[in-house]
Amino acid sequence: MKKNWKLQAAAPILALVGAAVIAGIILAATGNDPGDVLQVIVDDGFETRRVVDTLNRAAPYYIAGVAVAIGFKMTLFNIGVEGQYRLAALVAAWAGASVNLPAPLHVLFILMVAVITGAAWAAIPGLLRATRGVHEVISSIMLNSIALGLGAFLLHRWFRAPAGEYPGAVGTEVLPTPGRLPLLNGLVEKLGVDLPPGTRLQSYIFIALIIGVAYHLVISRTRFGFDLRASGSNPEAAEASGVDPKRMVVVTMVLSGAVAGLIGLNNVMSNVGDQARYTDVSVVGGLGFTGIAIALLGRNHPVGIALGALLWAFMDALQTPLSSAQLPKQITAILQGVAVLSVVIAYEVVRRIEQRQQASSLRRDSEPPPASEVAPA
Amino acid sequence: MMRLGTAVPSLIRPPGVCVPASRIDDGSVAAVELKGIVKRFPGVIANDDVNLTVAPGTVHALVGENGAGKSTLMKILYGMQHPDEGTITIGGERVEFKSPTDAIRHGIGMVHQHFMLADNLTVLENVILGYEPTRFGVIDFDGARRRIEELTELYGLPVEPDVRVERLGVGDRQRVEILKVLFRGATTLILDEPTAVLVPQEVDELFDNLSDLKSQGITILFISHKLDEVLTVADDITVMRAGTTVAARKPADVTSHQLAELMVGSELPTPETRESTVTDQVCLELSGITVCREDGRPDVDDVSIEIHQGEIVGIAGVEGNGQTQLIAAIMGTTTTRSGSISLDGDDITHWPTRRRREAGLGYVPEDRHRHGLLLDAPLWENQILGHQTQEPNARGPWIDRRAARARTEELVEQFDVRTPTIDVMAGALSGGNQQKLIIGRELMAGPVAMIAAHPTRGVDVGAQAAIWDQLRDARHDGLATLLISADLEELIGLSDTLLVIYKGRIVARLDPAATSPEELGSHMTGAAAAGGAG
Ligand SMILES: Nc1ncnc2c1ncn2[C@@H]1O[C@H](COP(=O)(O)OP(=O)(O)OP(=O)(O)O)[C@@H](O)[C@H]1O
Ligand SMILES: [Mg+2]
Repeated sequence: MKKNWKLQAAAPILALVGAAVIAGIILAATGNDPGDVLQVIVDDGFETRRVVDTLNRAAPYYIAGVAVAIGFKMTLFNIGVEGQYRLAALVAAWAGASVNLPAPLHVLFILMVAVITGAAWAAIPGLLRATRGVHEVISSIMLNSIALGLGAFLLHRWFRAPAGEYPGAVGTEVLPTPGRLPLLNGLVEKLGVDLPPGTRLQSYIFIALIIGVAYHLVISRTRFGFDLRASGSNPEAAEASGVDPKRMVVVTMVLSGAVAGLIGLNNVMSNVGDQARYTDVSVVGGLGFTGIAIALLGRNHPVGIALGALLWAFMDALQTPLSSAQLPKQITAILQGVAVLSVVIAYEVVRRIEQRQQASSLRRDSEPPPASEVAPA
Repeated sequence: MMRLGTAVPSLIRPPGVCVPASRIDDGSVAAVELKGIVKRFPGVIANDDVNLTVAPGTVHALVGENGAGKSTLMKILYGMQHPDEGTITIGGERVEFKSPTDAIRHGIGMVHQHFMLADNLTVLENVILGYEPTRFGVIDFDGARRRIEELTELYGLPVEPDVRVERLGVGDRQRVEILKVLFRGATTLILDEPTAVLVPQEVDELFDNLSDLKSQGITILFISHKLDEVLTVADDITVMRAGTTVAARKPADVTSHQLAELMVGSELPTPETRESTVTDQVCLELSGITVCREDGRPDVDDVSIEIHQGEIVGIAGVEGNGQTQLIAAIMGTTTTRSGSISLDGDDITHWPTRRRREAGLGYVPEDRHRHGLLLDAPLWENQILGHQTQEPNARGPWIDRRAARARTEELVEQFDVRTPTIDVMAGALSGGNQQKLIIGRELMAGPVAMIAAHPTRGVDVGAQAAIWDQLRDARHDGLATLLISADLEELIGLSDTLLVIYKGRIVARLDPAATSPEELGSHMTGAAAAGGAG
């Protein structure tokens, strides 16, 4: 059956309107004027500065969403994305600061180290599930804590830059220039958009873009993707069709972890000067969990995840103007949460409407044409 | 004879079950009356002005070709689907069911064509699931167990309450399903193709049970494609075609040929093997295959089978005598304790499933929903399943969508799968059409050897003849087929060699030309194994 695209698009819009109404009620109930918040969003949310901020933030969210969605596609819940990316970012930042290679190779080297570290860390719950039947949620939650502890240990023992070398937080050595990603400011300015001073558009969005395209191709166009989806849909039938279920669990976890490895490096590789290094500021925590919400928002669809990531990032970017306008910036967190819930509900509603519509369009077709006008099927 | 109503302890007696007075009296009020039922799905009208009247305390059969709308109608009566138009009257009372819970409350219970059991729960848990009897606020397992034992005894439905359902074969699963419905105190039983999965002895037992139930005033509605059996047990027969009820007959006034004609307008087929095409080239060879459970007891015990090119070897046996495990061993989805398997001269004993399939091992599974289909994926993706690494579905690491879709169009055409498009979900096809899809997919892949488990299960008489022809054609082209079936006529008619499996062992090798169904039946129950076979 052909999908009704208007209806499909209606679902997320419905959800957002629902979320906005709920947020408005909460704002009003807490003695704020929802109109003020709306004003800030309209006036400030689409300024160039905010748009750049939104895009920069959306890239890691998108990668996190894809990492989680890969698991979801075969009903594996990789809740360990959090630990995988934080460890991967640390190891990659350290390794990147320890070598000297020509520019493109250096960048590739750093990304490869991140991918491999993330994949390796994710392989552990995969292997535990395949060989010992340990549920991946349990093992990867534990591995998240272990990753944090291990990361802190590695950083303080071996990876940290000598004390006092750089101002600010404890972290690794700074990446040499060939290991950094160029900013897109020049490109954008050539296109005629003036960026306000101090804004930096990271080229990391291209990495997110590549991941998205690859995700789409692998899942829906390859044999491997077919096996993956079949395993998610009916594991027993997939096995009979020749999928090795244990191998599939491990491979899927590894793939999810490989993508997860790339989540945390955007700032490390794009910052200028002393900032281009791993610190608690350049690699923030929690992106792995956000990825779960974004995969849900986007229903594991490559474009859906992109919209989810942009929305989430937009909410984040609004926090600064909201606080400067003396408005509660926490409202964005509420909006994000309510949005996830409303999306889930809205899709169900739309699904039912669609069913009813199809049935009634059939009804029209099946009746003898009363007059000349008969709707085409 | 005890009445069912009194046999239900009040403790677990469904609160809302009201026994319609009409049932006990003179039968003047219909137990079930469906009027003008219309149900549409995207692209198809499943029910189009259906009228059905079922007298209380009778066995009423519903027949019709695949996709005629029988299951849909029964799902409407059971509250699982909502009619777009039409009325339902139960024992004189107009009703509108929002869900099966409402239907159960009116004493209507249903056993589905495709079983709906929770695999990882035990038989006992499945029976009480959603209907847990409680005592002082906790689930009364002892009471439930006693009740199950009573029912088991009353209707001769042997089950082990503490076995996990995932361990059960199709026949056992059905018994659990029936028990589940009786446990809920049903007074009208709907059985959707109950006999498709049973061997003749089991069918007889089931029919004995049905007549017991009938004599206690229970009304039974059942769907079947086996017209002879319909004629023997039914009191009334309603024929459906293309979504409407086209005829109502008494079994005395109609023959199975006439019924078939009413359904599809074609003759009743008989499976008859033409001239032998068996070559001396061994294609699939099992030697000394043993498959054990975790506790070490063998499910398959030292089985050796040779299938030649162009040969169909039939395996007869009561469900649960090791067929499932034997199939798994050949497919490579279970580990064998000992023995070896070779395909076309290659030792495939240690090959993974994928490699076996690529080497040309076709597979029509026993349970199409569990092992054969992705119900939430479109038909063209289901056509790929099992052949996702092979031409034309794959090109290198890529799925070749266009070729896969073209192949599916061809399949739908050639194997007469009734569907609006190849983009509908496999779950939306009628049972028989799902089966045709699987048969077509496997045969079109050009296998060298094929496991065909119940290849015509759930398909109508017309399609059955077509599938038999297709299997014979494939055999003529050199396919080695292992046929596992509960349909003894199918086994005798198609096989070149007949083997009987009993408790995991091959206990007899018979010449199908010289074997009657009765004889075969006695071998299957092990009766002849001790003395006769040699
Ligand atoms: N959930 C559904 N969505 C869409 N179409 C459906 C759905 N269920 C049934 N249909 C369609 O309705 C028609 C009738 O199906 P139904 O299952 O009632 O047939 P049936 O008579 O039981 O056939 P069979 O003997 O093969 O089981 C079929 O064309 C089927 O494809
Ligand atoms: Mg059916």
